[in-house]
Amino acid sequence: MTADSIHSTTQPDSGIVQLAPLLRVSDIGISFGGLKAVQQFSLSLPQSVLYGLIGPNGAGKTTVFNLLTGVYQPDSGKMNLSDISLIGRKPHQITAAGIARTFQNIRLFPSLSVLDNVRLAGQLRSSEGLLHTLLRTSLHHQSEAELKQRAMELLEIFELQHRAHELAGNLSYGHQRRLEIVRALATSPRVLLLDEPAAGLNPQEKRSLAQSIREIRDRFQVAILLIEHDMGLVMDICERIVVLDHGVTICEGTPDVIQNDPQVIAAYLGAAPDSGQNIF
Amino acid sequence: MPRDSTQSPQTRLTPANSGFSGTTGNAWYGLFPLVAGLAMATALQFILPGAAGPYYSRIVIDAGIAIVLAVSLNIVNGMTGQFSIGHAGFMALGGYTAGILTHYGSMLLWGSAGRHGGFLGSGELLFAASCLAGGLISAVAGYVVGLPSLRLRGDYLAIVTLGFGEIMRVILQQTGRVIDDAEKFRSGGLSQLIPPPVGGAVGFDGLPKYTSLFWVYSLVTVTVVVAYRLKVSSPGRAMISVREDEIAAQAMGVDIARQKVMAFVIAAFFAGAAGGMFAHESGVIISPRDAGFQRSFDYVIMTVLGGRGSISGVLIAAAVLTALPEMLRDFEQYRLIVYALLLIMMMLVRPQGLFGIHEIWDLFAPFLRRQQKAAP
Amino acid sequence: MADLVQTLITALAIGSLYALIALGYTMVYGILKFINFAHSDIVVLGAWISYTLSSKLLPRLGLDPHNPVTPPPIWVAAVVLILSMIICGLIGFVIERLAYKPLRRAPRLNVLITAIGVSLLLQNLGQLNFMFGASPQKMPALLPGWEIATLTFSDGESARSVVINLVDTVIFATSATLMLLLQYLVFRTKLGTAMRAVSFNPDNAALLGIPVDRVVSFTFVLGSALAAAAGFLYVMKYPGMNQPAHTIWVLLGLKAFVAAVIGGIGNVRGAVLGGFVIAFVEQFGAFYISSNYRDVYVFALLIVILLVRPTGLLGSPLREKV
Repeated sequence: MTADSIHSTTQPDSGIVQLAPLLRVSDIGISFGGLKAVQQFSLSLPQSVLYGLIGPNGAGKTTVFNLLTGVYQPDSGKMNLSDISLIGRKPHQITAAGIARTFQNIRLFPSLSVLDNVRLAGQLRSSEGLLHTLLRTSLHHQSEAELKQRAMELLEIFELQHRAHELAGNLSYGHQRRLEIVRALATSPRVLLLDEPAAGLNPQEKRSLAQSIREIRDRFQVAILLIEHDMGLVMDICERIVVLDHGVTICEGTPDVIQNDPQVIAAYLGAAPDSGQNIF
Repeated sequence: MPRDSTQSPQTRLTPANSGFSGTTGNAWYGLFPLVAGLAMATALQFILPGAAGPYYSRIVIDAGIAIVLAVSLNIVNGMTGQFSIGHAGFMALGGYTAGILTHYGSMLLWGSAGRHGGFLGSGELLFAASCLAGGLISAVAGYVVGLPSLRLRGDYLAIVTLGFGEIMRVILQQTGRVIDDAEKFRSGGLSQLIPPPVGGAVGFDGLPKYTSLFWVYSLVTVTVVVAYRLKVSSPGRAMISVREDEIAAQAMGVDIARQKVMAFVIAAFFAGAAGGMFAHESGVIISPRDAGFQRSFDYVIMTVLGGRGSISGVLIAAAVLTALPEMLRDFEQYRLIVYALLLIMMMLVRPQGLFGIHEIWDLFAPFLRRQQKAAP
Repeated sequence: MADLVQTLITALAIGSLYALIALGYTMVYGILKFINFAHSDIVVLGAWISYTLSSKLLPRLGLDPHNPVTPPPIWVAAVVLILSMIICGLIGFVIERLAYKPLRRAPRLNVLITAIGVSLLLQNLGQLNFMFGASPQKMPALLPGWEIATLTFSDGESARSVVINLVDTVIFATSATLMLLLQYLVFRTKLGTAMRAVSFNPDNAALLGIPVDRVVSFTFVLGSALAAAAGFLYVMKYPGMNQPAHTIWVLLGLKAFVAAVIGGIGNVRGAVLGGFVIAFVEQFGAFYISSNYRDVYVFALLIVILLVRPTGLLGSPLREKV
């Protein structure tokens, strides 16, 4: 195994050395008014890795997600997924290119059924045209049937199949969080951005979530970038972690490195590095 | 969590879908509702006037036109969650377009502007083609009006659509007098079409009265089938996702701009075709007033009452709100007061409309599903 | 030249009316973030209440309201103006409490639909026989037909004069006074600070002890009073009064709304700017291009501005929080 460098990263599980990174972001930044929300953010995400993005409240983590998914356009910098540039693309184009996300404050379609939430995400990859829909051609039936089957399979993997016909808005909070992940996976992404998936879950649910995030990575072969406040969870499952504070990357490395970095501890405790206790 | 994921998913798939979306593979099933609708329209055409008399037939025609307008508006306002209050503008545009084609087309084809042929005769075919053309012209206008919706949300868009209706009204008022002399029209050049000779503020008088139960209810059938098929399949889901949450819809790969414009185009098409029917209805002279916001509000009220997203709910609301004022002629001056109070009360008590997002048969859906489970 | 000056004078008078009405739209939008569709109907009410008051008041002074031989004393106009402002202010208060307040947390679209309902209700209630009736009336002239100034322009052989009469002057002066008062109120008083705080963030304002409900009510009263003033001034200039549900009123309200949007809705100064912009486009377009399409110019300008600068001339850009 080689040492960590920008272009090659070790993967503890498989031991495979990945060469060209899947998602490569260099020096992106954005300001709102005079506030520099994110500055010179860089990230290189190989295939099928599990990275964490942490930082105190207001550090700019969700803004990074919004930049990666095209909700905001960066003022500067470059973003590439494989060899496609993501700069100037609209959110739906970026999803089509292969980046899917969940939202910090759950954004399901509450008055659509659970199944329809997943089907909607899945139909991005199906080719049915308006005329086929209106005339109910056999192509229409075929693609709708495939769509439904795929959606049901996904729901089944996440044990939501019995809720398929319920309205998404009527699900319990934990199920809604899970459905958000299912829905993101239904777009067949290569990169999955999870924005605080453990927020509001109880310890048992968190353990189960940690387990399933690993399994998602293995099963769907996606690279996962995770924003999370639960340090135990992040340190447990992430291979590498990026720490943001006030829009600036203050540290990047393996969980061990992060936990012992004086700057990170200072950012979280707001105190001098040598003032004492280890927050992790 | 994924404990039983090794189990084959097929065995667990439930065939039950909500509503009546035929899951059978046979494409001919796709035509069944259309054929049934046409049969119903034909039956209405030959039975109703004899059974109920011309007065009630007229109300049923009015109701049919209102259904087309309200159900199509609901594609924009209910399914896609935009807010158009200029639907009458599309109706009037389609109506005038169809009127020009039948009136002046008849002069060119047959030398006179009056009615030609009987049921499904040459005149009626020209009329049907004209309504289709009216719908297409309106669809183009719908595309243009839909474009601002890419940048504007909710109430701003409402003002743009309202402005469109008003602009239509003002422009129609500036048009020229109708040319009734076929010989003169045939010999005159293209210059007599500028400004369009469609009657100015008086309205487009003298159009042949082709609109019948058959044509109106054929259009109702097509409108309802299209709206329903949209609603229960991929394109409709994409529209609904725009209504529910634009940001999340984009994140799921939905091109929200495309969905909004598509909703406007489809809705405008049916409004335009219905306008063609309206213009050729007996007892009606289509006039610039018909493009104005007062008429648009009528359709908005129907969609709000019926349920923003419920096709059957809006259909019922349109029929009832057309028939009721006819029955209560003496209270005409109170009609809009009652409508206004209904709107306010609905928003206070049941903002999702009578049926919300559900169809009327959804009320029976839990029952149906239980039966399916009981009989494996 | 004479034409230009004449158009300019009309545009200034009409523009100040638009601005007065636009202020009501913009204040309500600023605070509650919805288009108060019924605002234009308050203008109508203001006009019709002015008419009703004058036709009751003038006979008591021994004057025939329908054919006044001598103009009534100038205080009559002031009394009618102030009374109709007070009455409309109260109506605005009641409407807000009954129809809008229960929807404070509802989706904006629902509030918009309610506002359309209120608008329809006011129009059609006004048309009833025991209210104002469904036939047009003629507003008695409360202002003497004085000419303030006469400007004469000569171009070689012929000379034409432009008369600045009292009505236009009063419209401009009254509107300007009211707008300056409002500026003072919004930007210099405690109440104005409270209004701006609620507009910025109602929840935070409530946490800081600002009585949000009272501020909202006050905003409605204020906007409605300004609308009533605009209604009064409008029928001073154009005494032929159309029935309450007539299109002309709705168009007046719509144009004022367009003014608010063009200026940047929610922005008090923008509303005034927008009012004059709209009036100039309309009046100059009507004079130099064609008067038939005067409404088209206004809406075309609206669409252009919304596409180029969706937040209006003075509005600040918004970002949706994700």
